[in-house]
Amino acid sequence: MQNYSEPITPNSISRREWLWQSGGGLGGIALASLLSDQFSDQALGATAAAASGGVVQPLHVPAKAKRVVQLFMSGAASHIDTFDYKPALIEQHGQKWDPGEKVELFQNGLGNTLKSPWSWKPHGESGKHLSEIVAPLGNCVDDIAFVHNMVAKTGVHSQSTLLQATGFQEPGFPGVGAWVSYGLGSMNKNLPTFVVLPDHRGFASNGAKNWSSAFLPAHHQGTVLRPGTENPINDLFPADNDFISNRSERDTQKLLEQLNERHQAERPGDSRLEARIKSYELAARMQLAAPEALDLSGEPEHILKLYGLDHGMSSFPKEINPVEETEYFGRKCLVARRLLERGVRFVQIWSGNDNRFPRRNWDSHEDIARDHGPLAIGMSMGAAALIQDLKQRGMLDDTLILWTTEFGRMPCSQGSTGRDHNPFCFTNWLCGGGIKGGVTHGPSDEWGFKPQDREHPTTCYDIHATLLHLLGIDHTRLTFRSNGIDRRLTDVHGHVIDELLA
Amino acid sequence: MRLTLLIRLLPCFCLSYSALADTSSLRAAEADDFFRAQIAPILQTKCLRCHSTEKAKGELDLSSAAGWRKGGTGGPLFDADDPAASMLLDYVTGDDPLMPESGPPLTLDEIELVRAWLSQGAAWPDDVQLTPPGADLDWWSLQPLAEPQVPQLDEAGLKWARTPVDHFVYQRLQEQGLTPNSEADRRTLLRRLYYDVTGLPPSFEEVEAFVKDADPLAYEKRVDQLLDSPHYGERFARYWIDIVHWGETHGYDKDKPRPNAWPYRDYLIRAFNSDKPYDRFVKEQLAGDILYRQTPDGIPATGFIAAGPWDFIGHAEVPETKIDGQVARNLDRDDMVTTTMNTFVSTTVQCGRCHDHKFDPVSMEDYYSLQAVFAALDRADREYDADPEIAEQRRAYSEAISTLEQQLAALRQTAMEQAGPELKQVRESLAELETTLPTAQSTAFGYHSQIASSADQAKWVQLDLGQEVDLARIVVVGAYDDYNNIGAGFGFPLRFRIEVADDAEFKANMRTVLDRTQTDQPNPGTRPQVISLDERARYVRLTATRLAMRSNDYILALGEMQVQDDTGAIIPVSEVTSLDSIESGERWGRQNLTDAKFYGAPEQRETWDSYLAMLEQEASLTASQIPVEVQQQLAATEDALNARKKELSELPPKQKVYCGMVYTGSGTFLGRGAEGGKPRDIHVLDRGDVEKKLQLVSPGTIPILKDSEDPFDLPADHTEGDRRVALAEWIVRKDNPLTWRSIVNRIWLFHFGRGIVDSPNDFGRMGQLPTHPELLDWLAIQFRDNGQSIKSLHRLMLTSAAYRQSSAHREEMAEIDSSNQYYWRMNRQRLDAEAVRDSVLLLSGNLNPEMYGPSFQDFVIQNPEHSPHYEYDLYDPTNPESFRRSIYRFLVRSQPQPFMETLDCADPSERVPKRAETLTVLQALALLNNGFMLHMSATMADTVAQQASEPEAQVQLLFRKVLQRDPTDDEQKLFMSYLAEHGLANSARLMFNLNEFVFVD
Repeated sequence: MQNYSEPITPNSISRREWLWQSGGGLGGIALASLLSDQFSDQALGATAAAASGGVVQPLHVPAKAKRVVQLFMSGAASHIDTFDYKPALIEQHGQKWDPGEKVELFQNGLGNTLKSPWSWKPHGESGKHLSEIVAPLGNCVDDIAFVHNMVAKTGVHSQSTLLQATGFQEPGFPGVGAWVSYGLGSMNKNLPTFVVLPDHRGFASNGAKNWSSAFLPAHHQGTVLRPGTENPINDLFPADNDFISNRSERDTQKLLEQLNERHQAERPGDSRLEARIKSYELAARMQLAAPEALDLSGEPEHILKLYGLDHGMSSFPKEINPVEETEYFGRKCLVARRLLERGVRFVQIWSGNDNRFPRRNWDSHEDIARDHGPLAIGMSMGAAALIQDLKQRGMLDDTLILWTTEFGRMPCSQGSTGRDHNPFCFTNWLCGGGIKGGVTHGPSDEWGFKPQDREHPTTCYDIHATLLHLLGIDHTRLTFRSNGIDRRLTDVHGHVIDELLA
Repeated sequence: MRLTLLIRLLPCFCLSYSALADTSSLRAAEADDFFRAQIAPILQTKCLRCHSTEKAKGELDLSSAAGWRKGGTGGPLFDADDPAASMLLDYVTGDDPLMPESGPPLTLDEIELVRAWLSQGAAWPDDVQLTPPGADLDWWSLQPLAEPQVPQLDEAGLKWARTPVDHFVYQRLQEQGLTPNSEADRRTLLRRLYYDVTGLPPSFEEVEAFVKDADPLAYEKRVDQLLDSPHYGERFARYWIDIVHWGETHGYDKDKPRPNAWPYRDYLIRAFNSDKPYDRFVKEQLAGDILYRQTPDGIPATGFIAAGPWDFIGHAEVPETKIDGQVARNLDRDDMVTTTMNTFVSTTVQCGRCHDHKFDPVSMEDYYSLQAVFAALDRADREYDADPEIAEQRRAYSEAISTLEQQLAALRQTAMEQAGPELKQVRESLAELETTLPTAQSTAFGYHSQIASSADQAKWVQLDLGQEVDLARIVVVGAYDDYNNIGAGFGFPLRFRIEVADDAEFKANMRTVLDRTQTDQPNPGTRPQVISLDERARYVRLTATRLAMRSNDYILALGEMQVQDDTGAIIPVSEVTSLDSIESGERWGRQNLTDAKFYGAPEQRETWDSYLAMLEQEASLTASQIPVEVQQQLAATEDALNARKKELSELPPKQKVYCGMVYTGSGTFLGRGAEGGKPRDIHVLDRGDVEKKLQLVSPGTIPILKDSEDPFDLPADHTEGDRRVALAEWIVRKDNPLTWRSIVNRIWLFHFGRGIVDSPNDFGRMGQLPTHPELLDWLAIQFRDNGQSIKSLHRLMLTSAAYRQSSAHREEMAEIDSSNQYYWRMNRQRLDAEAVRDSVLLLSGNLNPEMYGPSFQDFVIQNPEHSPHYEYDLYDPTNPESFRRSIYRFLVRSQPQPFMETLDCADPSERVPKRAETLTVLQALALLNNGFMLHMSATMADTVAQQASEPEAQVQLLFRKVLQRDPTDDEQKLFMSYLAEHGLANSARLMFNLNEFVFVD
């Protein structure tokens, strides 16, 4: 039996130990009931959305997906080194690149045509060509729909990251996940609806603005989860102190509730007082649920292997390398699966910090091979594992996965081995949740410089409209009035891309 | 859809035409209907914006039948004989139609409708008068302010009411069948008032004194006392910061800090505490640098213009010539326009960036005319004198310097005239030769000393000629570097001397061959300085005794030094030494001082020789041919000039504020300084696309006032500042109905928790309607016409019975008005993030009440050189440096402070006219577990333990501090056993988590 008078601090015993010991006492909530709630939520299936406090009730259109995973490559992942196969670049490699028009570059280095440093191979029944650094996704291409004619509005990282993450170029607008939370509400009682797994080496451009709730109610904002840290959610457990113990915690909850209830009893007619009492109960539940969801120790060997987490290494070389990148991205993907299983509706996973040095991001101005290689291998291992794992659990059918980045990279070289920004063309892909697999939509031109059909590019508005559509939402009807304007995720744009729908 | 309508309507129209050919009146009625239903909307949306009575471009007015028949400068648009050849069709049809000039062309369906209308005679009923789209001023907020009668009340009403405000409130209550609550108890009232006005709680003793105060004006006295407290300005400034989304980092990518933003925050605190009249407050923020430059507030107030985020990459790394640079600047002006118009006139103009406002009278042209107001500005640090006396001295010295400089120029002119033709000729030859010199240099610039923090430090550089040699000439050439726009003469010392010696230490037999250390010397640029001498020595040393300014620091830099013998041969230099040096690769290094590479170095040796000869000749002629008295006058004037310059340089350094200004930059981020502050050309941008420029616009504003003259009737040679002054003057016009309604509504919202118009930034058709329109207007007029004192407005509201009533719930009232929009009770309010944090600091005895100055930073900055990361969890929450009020917290955009954000603190990336009030799990966790809260609980425990030793007294003290009341017996009992088991720190923590602490009744 734990000595209750012993002060408890984050470092004195592990969180997990503390939780399991004190769990039964917190707010009188037993773990058993907690878990059963989760499973009953899951069992509710399609009706859960309607019962969970979203504003879209009933759904505008029948939903194909209930959950979303957004994979965001920060720094601008090169489409022509990963998913958009361009034989012309191989043929014209090293020659002067002349698309027959002025090329506006971000950093002024118009080099020769540059082929990808990697080889390409067709995969799956669809025969989709993938570069060898994303070959792990070869097993999944028949479930994936690729969009190769995405266009951004500028080559500035911050604005373009915001555009893909919130639908607007300037800060102050809700993230896609916040809109989905607002529209559909929560599917669980113990975890946030919208969870963000940032690259642990740092946030992308704009930091937390990318998952802000902005003008939407605050509980729709993305909650940052940091698996493997002492406090995976801000303030989930008490900061350093010398006075809080397991027992004091239990008695504090009890007395707090008692006094708050007396206060409330004298002040009828104000639901906020009750809501605040409830929020303390929920806090206690989250203290149990979050670490449980993040605990990978029960995952079997073959699952760890699937996500590339069987490398057996505890430290990594100083240089960027594929094993380490797989460890980081794969672990986030596995955590994402566990969160989805527990009713989290929207998980956003970031690969890459902001665009600093040494590069741990996709902004390969200097050397595509050095950065894109390890990052893409790690990303594709994790993403492929997530797709296959969800599929084998029957969850891919109603989980939508969206892979995106802020813009693409140029067909010509910068220096001799890097590529400059290309806001005129890049790739997105979608998978699961009502997406037609094995599809390639909207080709780019022969170099991947601009969309082949320049009059009809695909924009983030179209992607977001499609995403909402699959979730049962008409993107023109999910609105929130802010400062006199009925705001939408898709602003005044966006068309559902029918070709992508199963 | 239009086409279907046309098909459905036309046959019927034609049928009736033929069948009822003789019943012309009926036929006309059909045609009139067709016009009204089909044609009027097209004209209205596609033509009226430019061709109406208000604005008849090309003298064409399409708002009435008369105007239509008359046509424009090109004659009638309709050809009755050949309708298909009507000029109207020429304008609107074709692949690239001439009209509409801006906005989308007519659709094919619309063109067919117009054709049909023309072919049937182009009927336009006389009674149909069209108005431009959206320019419809028939909306409550655009109506002129008219003072309403204060309502008469019945006996019960008169008994309850305390101020005219209550008359309006009571009348509305009565209309709804509601009755107000009676006055709240004194403890509740005082706690409410304290938090509301100062953001801090009263002490238990203050509450006790108020409860016992028999003075009938006890409450009113507290109101005055609190409005006079400096804490009032600290609280209210934060509200303004929310509205204008002021922050202390740029936001976007590379979220760099703005270390000089805080003077704007201090300005706000001072402005509210000194109860600055509102019109002055508005004008200062938009154009204080123009209108009130000589006051300590004039320049810091313009921090308003730069309050919002700024895209560092889009401005500092992408030039304005690139599309991305233009996008960034368009968004930047958009931020300035939107903040201005949302804040001061509660109008959402920002829709106009991409399309005409669908509901309010804001066209794209109006919107871009507002962008033109700010088109010369960028956001940057600007220097100013916070002390007006210093500002005055600085002005006087600058004026004296400019006078002396003029005198000097005149004297030099006189000197030249008296010197005769020879000197003139030499100078002309020199000028001619200089035009042939290259205006470039190699990558080897010259010598550059280390950087010094003050000018008056001696630095030297010397040449070792290897052996003692005869010296006839020393040549010194200034360096050239574009750094900080300096260019020629970069680093050239203000005072210096040249010495020669036989030993490297300059100890023995040192001879001074040039002494310019007595007065500051004009910078010679890169013109060679030639010193003739007749000495024999091994070493030549140049010592700078007053260094040149670089940006905020001082250096010695030289392009070249050369020593010649009496044959004119260059004596080789064996070594260059110096006190210190920056050896930075190619550009700067000691060896570059004697490498014969410098800015303007002639390619031919002969040119160089004759150049030097001419310079020598010029010097000797100047000395010999100018009369002595003129030379003396020149010297005296130069001395006076130098003295003034010295006095100027000795004034205390200027303060900086980050504000909207005409910026003079270099490299990529240029600003408009080099253009003399000329505003950028602003065009209407089709769908907001910078690549699709439409017509050029002039500065202006939204057309909501029926003006006899254009409020922006500016002369052609107006300055950019005139534009901002014009906008400010327009905003504070007494007949601007929006301005006065907007501000009184904000104050009402601040005290009552909801606005009379509950969309404070939008009084347009998408906003809320006022619940008490007469009260709003009455307040607006009171405010506008009685000194525009915000404190008086507070007083008017705070002393009302409506404010003083209890927040108690009554079911029968709630059934009628559950959201309490008519104020049958006071709204219970949750403490905002600042009030929670500041109270906890105060109650635990930790609050440092120091006002003003740079913000405290409760984070650690990582990676500051590239893109700073603001790491809050690395900051020690027990560090007392952060124990100041939250208004002095450094506000980061990319990473909001997690504790404050969780408590719904406004996000500086967004304009927040009204704080969100949420109750979330994360809030519970933050108040329970955040390091700040735990430290405050622990220190509060220490304070309580010092002040009371018995548990009973300790519990009582905790209640008195946190809740300003004594515990009930029951509470006392419950707490005693908790305290006994878990101690005071846990008890304090629990108190801070109570609903009673967080809510104000």
